[in-house]
Amino acid sequence: MSNSTATAGIDESNQSVMSVKWTRRKEVAREVFSNPLTVLGMVIIGAFFLMALLAPLLTEPNQPDAYQSPRDWANIDSPPGIDGHVLGTDSQGGDVLYGIIWGSRLSLQLSLTVVGFTLVFGAIIGSVAAMRGGRLDNFLMRLVDVFLSIPELIFALAIAAVLGPSFRNIILALAAVFWVKYARIIRGEIIRIKQAEYVAAARVTGDSTWNIYRKDVLPNAVTPLVVQATLDMGNVVLIGATLSFIGLAQAGLTEWGAMVSAGQSGLLAGEWWVSTFAGLAIVLWALAFNLVGDGLRDVLDPKTEGR
Amino acid sequence: MQVRDYLIRRLVLLPFIMLGVSVVVFTLTRFTGSPVGIYATPNMTPDEVAALEARYLLDQPIPVQYAAWLGGLLQGDLGWSGVSVAPVTAVIGDKMTATLELALAAAIIAILGGIALGTIAGVRHNKGPDHMARLFSILGASTPTFWFGLLLLVPFYLWLDWFPLGRSTTEIWNSIGHPIGLYTLDAILAGSPVALLDALRHLVLPATVLAFGAMAIIVRMMRSSMVEALSEEYVDAARSKGLPEGVVIKRHARRNALVPTTTVIGLSFGFLLQGSVAVELIFRWPGLGQWVTSAILSGDQATIMSYVLVTAVIFMTVNLAVDIAYAYLDRRVVLGG
Amino acid sequence: MSDTTLLRVEDLSVHFRSSRGVAHAVDHVSFDIKPHETLALVGETGCGKSVTARSILRLVPEPPGEYASGAVFLRNADGSESDILSSSPKEVRAIRGDRISMIFQDPGKALNPGLTIGRQLAEVFGEHRLSMLFENAEMAGSKPSRLAQRVAQQRANAFQKLLFDVTSRGASKRLQKAIDESVMDALADTGIPNPRKIMQSYPHELSGGMKQRVMIAQALACDPDLLIADEPTTALDVTIQARILELIHQMQQRRGMAILYITHDLSLVREFADRVAVMYAGRIVEMGPSADVLASPQHPYTQGLLNAIPRAATPRGELAAIPGTVPQLIEPPAQCHFATRCEFASAACRSVVPVPLTTGPGRTVACHRFDCAESLGVPADDMPVAATVKGKPSR
Repeated sequence: MSNSTATAGIDESNQSVMSVKWTRRKEVAREVFSNPLTVLGMVIIGAFFLMALLAPLLTEPNQPDAYQSPRDWANIDSPPGIDGHVLGTDSQGGDVLYGIIWGSRLSLQLSLTVVGFTLVFGAIIGSVAAMRGGRLDNFLMRLVDVFLSIPELIFALAIAAVLGPSFRNIILALAAVFWVKYARIIRGEIIRIKQAEYVAAARVTGDSTWNIYRKDVLPNAVTPLVVQATLDMGNVVLIGATLSFIGLAQAGLTEWGAMVSAGQSGLLAGEWWVSTFAGLAIVLWALAFNLVGDGLRDVLDPKTEGR
Repeated sequence: MQVRDYLIRRLVLLPFIMLGVSVVVFTLTRFTGSPVGIYATPNMTPDEVAALEARYLLDQPIPVQYAAWLGGLLQGDLGWSGVSVAPVTAVIGDKMTATLELALAAAIIAILGGIALGTIAGVRHNKGPDHMARLFSILGASTPTFWFGLLLLVPFYLWLDWFPLGRSTTEIWNSIGHPIGLYTLDAILAGSPVALLDALRHLVLPATVLAFGAMAIIVRMMRSSMVEALSEEYVDAARSKGLPEGVVIKRHARRNALVPTTTVIGLSFGFLLQGSVAVELIFRWPGLGQWVTSAILSGDQATIMSYVLVTAVIFMTVNLAVDIAYAYLDRRVVLGG
Repeated sequence: MSDTTLLRVEDLSVHFRSSRGVAHAVDHVSFDIKPHETLALVGETGCGKSVTARSILRLVPEPPGEYASGAVFLRNADGSESDILSSSPKEVRAIRGDRISMIFQDPGKALNPGLTIGRQLAEVFGEHRLSMLFENAEMAGSKPSRLAQRVAQQRANAFQKLLFDVTSRGASKRLQKAIDESVMDALADTGIPNPRKIMQSYPHELSGGMKQRVMIAQALACDPDLLIADEPTTALDVTIQARILELIHQMQQRRGMAILYITHDLSLVREFADRVAVMYAGRIVEMGPSADVLASPQHPYTQGLLNAIPRAATPRGELAAIPGTVPQLIEPPAQCHFATRCEFASAACRSVVPVPLTTGPGRTVACHRFDCAESLGVPADDMPVAATVKGKPSR
């Protein structure tokens, strides 16, 4: 090991900066993929993505609203395997498998929108606060503290309740609540990096603040953000499902949490399939992103890096 | 001392943050249809409603309205709860103690179980118990509490009928006094084994379900800090003194591994508060969570907003307490090494 | 072997399993230590000296480590020897801290940050000198209760301590006093001023030098026969190093224990060690009285080490370093490990493992230069340039 870094050190001065970065990225990628659990997570995510994207091909979309399961009134509350309903039907004849497939679209929509927005918005706020410092920083961080004083689920619950029960409002509520995490993370990273010597060196060379930010600060701050974003892809769906379970989504929506709720009464009558399968979908989704997030963290965490 | 300064800063900031939370909640109330709806009881006459509007200055600019709202709040007027058909302040006390009892029971399970499991996992690093603990952790982080609750409900309530729903059997509840408001403690004080058994039978299942998610993160943290502690030189030094392995693990490694774990314990309390919403709904537990879920279904804004305020206050207080505890331990351990 | 040896390490091999294979950290190492003598074990980082030291107290974690061969014989009071590596865990624990103690390189890391100095020292007394404590506390009459034992061993929790206080009728106070006095005596013995204050302090409140004194006090608390000092001064400031070494030397004069010094610092060897063993890549390459070895080193590695020490008297020029790097210890080839860097290396060196040869009174060296082609069974051409002194196999 020591030999290889010794020679790499000599080589690096001859290689261009870009190709050095590329070799590092390949190393990181190899380490990530060497963990079988991480790979498993990625496979499951891939399966869900495919399921979500190909939903209109896998099933006949219901009219007028594809996100309401088509009602088969002849086969209500039927167990799995009867009459073409692979996973059974609910108390209104809605096909469970249909619900799971279209539910994955909703999960994808929810997680990508929320995480996409909060990541960018939170990063901007956090960056501005950290780079500017002073009173702006103070103000923004107090704001973050206020938001963090209210537990996420409860905050989102209140917002969604006020806006009215709908899936779209769940997305909005979660977006309004989740961004603070990213602001905090990136601010912490920037402050840590600002104190590092190479930023001072860059300053000496006369680089503008924006350039320093782009070239020195951002690439290093990215790592914890990526890990958090991956984990949040799972968390958002977990919390979103809880919100629809409580009743903050439209009735009959093919959303996994709502399906578990719809299947509740059936559970006590021995009709287990609706709640169980819908719940399993949630678990698998969250598990997959947790596995990948953990795998990324193990590889990218500065404490274990360069082992 | 820097740690003390940090804590003083936190304490000083606390009222401001609470104020900030009140602003957030107030903003939410202005999103609802009628702001006065929070205070209106069902049988009010139009005159009474008008009087309310005048009192809360609803025709004035927003900041003035906020001041009036805040004033009312501090005087104890949290509005009228539609679902409880009573002023919020009248019912919130009982709801709080119910949720508190559930959360405390879950916390005890999560902390004791989490520390024990995490220690074993750390000591048997990379062996059987460790892998099981990691599996447990990741499942705990991926399983929605409401689904887990339903999953346990079916066998233990439906089939075996070991544990009933709700918090108590009415006749037994009424048979003892409730000075503390925590059923288990009230039963002990009243010297009634029947009541205690009743309390525990109702408590076990929801507390376990609630504890699952919190325990998962505690196990995880305890495991990694145990692994780290066991790799420290002082563990070998302790062995070189001739101490038995059990003593080395418990007194030397675990004691130091517990310190970073306290931060996670504070975090997990947030999990418990959030999880209580779904758990109380499923197990018909008459606490804050069940209260707010009914409020959502009927659009009862007063309840929802009071719920947010109360949980925020509880959450902040617990976090501060945990931070103080950590600072006390931290002073000895982290600052030295 | 003379029956006055205190410790005899015989053919010790320690292997570590890793994902890359089995590393031979210690390879057929043998040496002995007589009572009252100081043996220095010298070598570069990674040569296996620390693992060897820890093996004596059986501190190597198994797995990933394993004691692939050999024994560590400790002389008992009745003159017999027992092998530490095949003793029961209970017997090994009885030896640790009592007959053989160890002090570690970084006192900041080797002291538990969460316990007071007093408690950490009290642990040693509680483990090995329980009856003495009870006697001093005038509790020896009736057999002390289990509770009393737990309190004395620092294993009682707050509730148990309270119970003991309440039920012991004053004995708990006397016991605590006895413990405190033993601790303070041990601290004062190493020249620590104000032992009561130190006893109540936490490690992070003390300076590096003070912490090392505390470690020494702790290690010598039960008057061990052998003290293992694993690089005791490496982590200290230069100004403190000398004082700590003086202290250890003083304690040895007073108490008469043997010392095994693990170090990479040859100047320490010169001043304090009676004998020295030089290790390279898991093997002992040279051993003998330190004055002799340092004055006329026989093994090329030892010569290289001595040359590498900058001396004030030599003219300016490049620092002499030994070219090359330490070889891989994983599945090592059967040859002299130093052959890749040795100026005398020859074909025999690259194909036959050198064994220790006696080259003088109490001196051994493991180098083919001191051997002859016939005994090795190789052609004469394969032999390296002969050294002036011939060696005989030492066993």
